[in-house]
Amino acid sequence: MPLTTVHEAKTQRLEILDPEGRVDAALEPKAPKEKLLELYKKMTEIRVFDERALKLQRQGRLGTYPQIIGQEATQIVPACCLEPKDWLVPTYRGQGAYFARGMQLRYSLLYWGGDDRGVKFPAENNDLIFAIPVGSHMTQAAGLAWAEKLKKTNAVALCWLGDGASSKGDFHEALTFAGVHKLPLIMLIENNQWAISLPRAQQCAAETLAQKAWGYGAHGIQVDGNDPLAVYRAVSEAVARGRKGEGPSVVECLTYRMGHHTTADDASRYRTAAEVDGWKAKDPLARYTKYLKAKGLLDDAAIAATLKDAEAMVADEVKAYEAFPKPSPLDMFANNYDKAPWMLVEQRAELAEVLKEKASRNEIAEVPPAEGRFP
Amino acid sequence: MAQKNLLQGINDGLRQAMEKDPKVLVLGEDVGLNGGVFRVTEGLQKAFGAERVVDTPLAELGIVGASVGLSLAGMRPVCEIQFDGFLPAVMDQVICHMGRMRNRSQGRNSLPMVLRAPHGGLIHAPEHHSESPEAYFTHTPGIKVVIPSTPEDAKGLIIAAINDPDPVVYFEPKRLYRTVKGEVPDAYYETPIGKARIARAGTDLTLISWGAMVHTCLKAAEELETDGVSVEILDLRTLTPLDWDAISASVEKTGRALIAHEAPNTGSWAAEISALIHERLHYKLKGPVQRVGAWDIRQPLFQLEKYYIPDAHRVVRGVKKALNRQPV
Repeated sequence: MPLTTVHEAKTQRLEILDPEGRVDAALEPKAPKEKLLELYKKMTEIRVFDERALKLQRQGRLGTYPQIIGQEATQIVPACCLEPKDWLVPTYRGQGAYFARGMQLRYSLLYWGGDDRGVKFPAENNDLIFAIPVGSHMTQAAGLAWAEKLKKTNAVALCWLGDGASSKGDFHEALTFAGVHKLPLIMLIENNQWAISLPRAQQCAAETLAQKAWGYGAHGIQVDGNDPLAVYRAVSEAVARGRKGEGPSVVECLTYRMGHHTTADDASRYRTAAEVDGWKAKDPLARYTKYLKAKGLLDDAAIAATLKDAEAMVADEVKAYEAFPKPSPLDMFANNYDKAPWMLVEQRAELAEVLKEKASRNEIAEVPPAEGRFP
Repeated sequence: MAQKNLLQGINDGLRQAMEKDPKVLVLGEDVGLNGGVFRVTEGLQKAFGAERVVDTPLAELGIVGASVGLSLAGMRPVCEIQFDGFLPAVMDQVICHMGRMRNRSQGRNSLPMVLRAPHGGLIHAPEHHSESPEAYFTHTPGIKVVIPSTPEDAKGLIIAAINDPDPVVYFEPKRLYRTVKGEVPDAYYETPIGKARIARAGTDLTLISWGAMVHTCLKAAEELETDGVSVEILDLRTLTPLDWDAISASVEKTGRALIAHEAPNTGSWAAEISALIHERLHYKLKGPVQRVGAWDIRQPLFQLEKYYIPDAHRVVRGVKKALNRQPV
């Protein structure tokens, strides 16, 4: 018997705006003017915030912080393709996604400032707190999508992950479930080329990460992740497929982590300045600005005003962050169980005694320095 | 002999073990070019090449599963899981395979592998970067668990772990990486697995601890001394198999024991040690064994971690409580 071909797949790459801001009119999404400007405003705001957060960390006013500079399109745009009923499942580098859905930036600062109160989503949203252990949220996102399918809400789950997380077994399992049950799940791979020090080429031998989709009966596409219009179009189409019951999608967005992995990392140890500079030319915000100007939706005065407003908003958020009263040590005993069991009641009382003793020894006001160093 | 910190002690041991045995290889996330996020493996890839010091894809369970396979087929892998909080992802391989292979294969296969991971908190790290998960491992039969508290033991224990015919989990108290310095012999040497160390001699109570908490106990001992209380500090160094001889010798002498550690008390390794002492030395005790550990809740973000992980004050409190108890 001759060999026969039982499967063939073609993985496409979507680019609409080039780095110069020139648009492919045939592919240009038909988004209303307000939507286009909303994306611009939020991308500007998160850029300003990110730069400010880095400074706060360097000044010792914030803990370890994962920058998102360069990834504004893959953070803001997908979140703006959703409705509040849809599940937003970001990674730890997800402050842009939460912000796009309405969470105040002061809470992101609180979280990275080491305060457990740094989570406050708008009440009407289905936003999930991110997972720090890489990729452990992916099967949960499949479960969220599954529940929405069972409840017939027509809602989808949008799960962000990095190129690194695509190597984890959880990725395989999430898409396996989503494929079998035709779940409204979108796996948005923010392929920023680096998993700390590991370059994309060493992460996986496949030519694209998008092509993994075909192995699960999902739809896959690769997108220029620094092109807000391409991200908008690809994610909107994936959401529409999910709502129509056509199953899961993988949207691989090619972008770049312009900053260090976190403020505790030093990327100059493992990548060249020339590589980083090459990506500067592909900046998502710069090309989107050019596009909106060419379209007549933005002029220099509006650009300056947006930036000024963003700076004022971020300054207010920083002020609000720093005005938060310090957390009470006793707060950690709240929210562990529906009803605290006996040992927690006892331990809380013991800590209260310890705090009293420390106060009497004038130890409580003192903020001890970190004994070691992270990392 | 040179003054080194704990991190350099581990690096020294890894380097010498790799020089000695070409089958030893180091693998994990960012361990090569970047030298590990804490720089424990700094310079090793340059010295031994990218085939022996391997930057792996981001897949913790894969790292440990592949290490099981590598060691089954005759290599001596030393794999790293970057943070303690990422260890839950590897427990499938640890519990179902690492700890069972020798027995399941009726002695045909052994796994001479080492699983390294940082341990403990108080470095203002993000969530899942500050945990003390030793009890999940000490509860697992078939594996050994070690944790140094000095640079000298850091080197000797990593060499002993690599040479051990059984799988060894090697915890690295991360807040000691750069804060503890001491003499480290230049020679290639082993710190024997299964042997505790008396970190401070005393008479009134045995303070049993491991890892970074040993240093908290040393601080507490100084404070207690000014109150006229003399404690003996036992640095376990190996959690499984426990050095029962050292524990019993000290507790028989002092008649009292307190176990101080960073993990929540419930189901902890401290619970096991307390049970052993009560089972075997009950009639020699002057009072019940006490534990000082973290609270039975999830580790909070770093603003509150200093109230979660016991400090010297809480150890002193615990010791005083132990001393005031009536004989049982």
